[in-house]
Amino acid sequence: MRPSANIIPLALVGLVVTGIVGFIVVVLFISWFSNPPFGLGNAPAQPIDFPHTVHAGSPAEGGVGIACEFCHRNVTEGAAATVPAVEQCLFCHQQVNPENLVADASHDGHGHNDLAGDLAEMQRVVDKFNDNDPIDWERVHRLPDHVRFVHEAHLRFLTQGEPRTVSLPIGDGQPMQLPVPVGQACSVCHGDVASMEEVQPQPGQSLKMGTCVDCHRELNAPTDCTICHK
Amino acid sequence: MVTSRAKHKWGMVVDLDRCNGCQACVVACQAENNLPINDKNAFLQSRAYEWIRIERYWEGEYPNVRARFIPVLCQHCENAPCEPVCPVFATYHSAEGLNVQLYNRCVGTRYCINNCPYQVRFFNYWHPNWPERLENQLNPDVTVRTRGITEKCTFCIQRLRRAELQVERRGGGTLNNETLKSGNYMPSCVQACPTNALMFGDQQDEQSPIKPYFDDVNKHNIHHEHERETRGYRLLEEMNTKPNLIYLKKVDKNPVKGGQHG
Repeated sequence: MRPSANIIPLALVGLVVTGIVGFIVVVLFISWFSNPPFGLGNAPAQPIDFPHTVHAGSPAEGGVGIACEFCHRNVTEGAAATVPAVEQCLFCHQQVNPENLVADASHDGHGHNDLAGDLAEMQRVVDKFNDNDPIDWERVHRLPDHVRFVHEAHLRFLTQGEPRTVSLPIGDGQPMQLPVPVGQACSVCHGDVASMEEVQPQPGQSLKMGTCVDCHRELNAPTDCTICHK
Repeated sequence: MVTSRAKHKWGMVVDLDRCNGCQACVVACQAENNLPINDKNAFLQSRAYEWIRIERYWEGEYPNVRARFIPVLCQHCENAPCEPVCPVFATYHSAEGLNVQLYNRCVGTRYCINNCPYQVRFFNYWHPNWPERLENQLNPDVTVRTRGITEKCTFCIQRLRRAELQVERRGGGTLNNETLKSGNYMPSCVQACPTNALMFGDQQDEQSPIKPYFDDVNKHNIHHEHERETRGYRLLEEMNTKPNLIYLKKVDKNPVKGGQHG
């Protein structure tokens, strides 16, 4: 048999195999180095349109400036930051709802133009409360089940103690003056949530194990496996 | 601010004179650490497991028979035979003297199980199952181990971490016998033991109730066992695994001749 007889099918097989392997390598490469992989998991669709800009944004920028820990009340007291119960939304929205507000084009409410749409969303919150229904918020920052993360301990480090300067290997990496208020402490890992219409993980603030360990090493925090893994 | 952890060396003392084999520790451990229910099938295949088990020995001939009990759990050896054989470093010795098993690193080679002289490491041959309602009682602080990985006693490290957090919350400091007591920290088997046969503490802490036993046993090694002032001994001491667990001999004024395992 002449060697050239099978060269075309062989080359085809070689090309296909190279293509498949190359595709897998590229997919693995991108998913390892991009966070989240391919943008998946970015800003999941929430059941109710909740703009953090309005609730947590500073009054100068058209927000009402509610502190993070007012709604995420457990954040300074326990492991989970917790999402508030619907009752807590009603603290304000018992008054701030379509019953008391009228969609008026002249009053565009906190820089939003679509007040009618906002009122409809508010009505959904009130409806949820009246129906005794929880709101099924979609989780944005998800940690694996075998990881134990305690918000309380991290906030204690960032918001208490004597004044000191640290450079955290997360976010922009600039030296930081500690202690900081709780709101700023949250931004270290979560980004400036108060300026986000939709909350999503920020570049450079991947909540991967490498980020945790970098920070723990930098600050001489314990790096024993059982500190975080359970 | 941050609780200092470096100095700890945890240890446990099991007083066999007080153990009456009630198995409360076994149940407590199972509830605390998300252990699956051992059903009949698991026993028939010899694959039922408990992180702490009560070994039972019979002494004497009928009708003059006595039962002896030894609770056996992970000995947290200083020279642990399970550690060097793991190809993926899923088991290692922490600075606090604990033998740690990392479930998410484990690939299930079972080398550690085969190398453990105490038979206190267990392999998940199946995905763990609980009756539907019992799934709601799973401890959120402990991973539910999947099929194909090894697991073992952790000295309830999740409770230890919680105790550290409590100490921090109250203004920092070291985790010592006093703060352990006030934080109510102890492994669940120790907490459940009705006769206080199990004692837990820090070997470095002067106030700790276990320290005298460890000092005594460490001072006189296996070759000078008769010089020991306490009843302390270690399981399979001649293997030099140096467990962080010490057993206290049962005092028997009228021993029965002849024993058997069963």
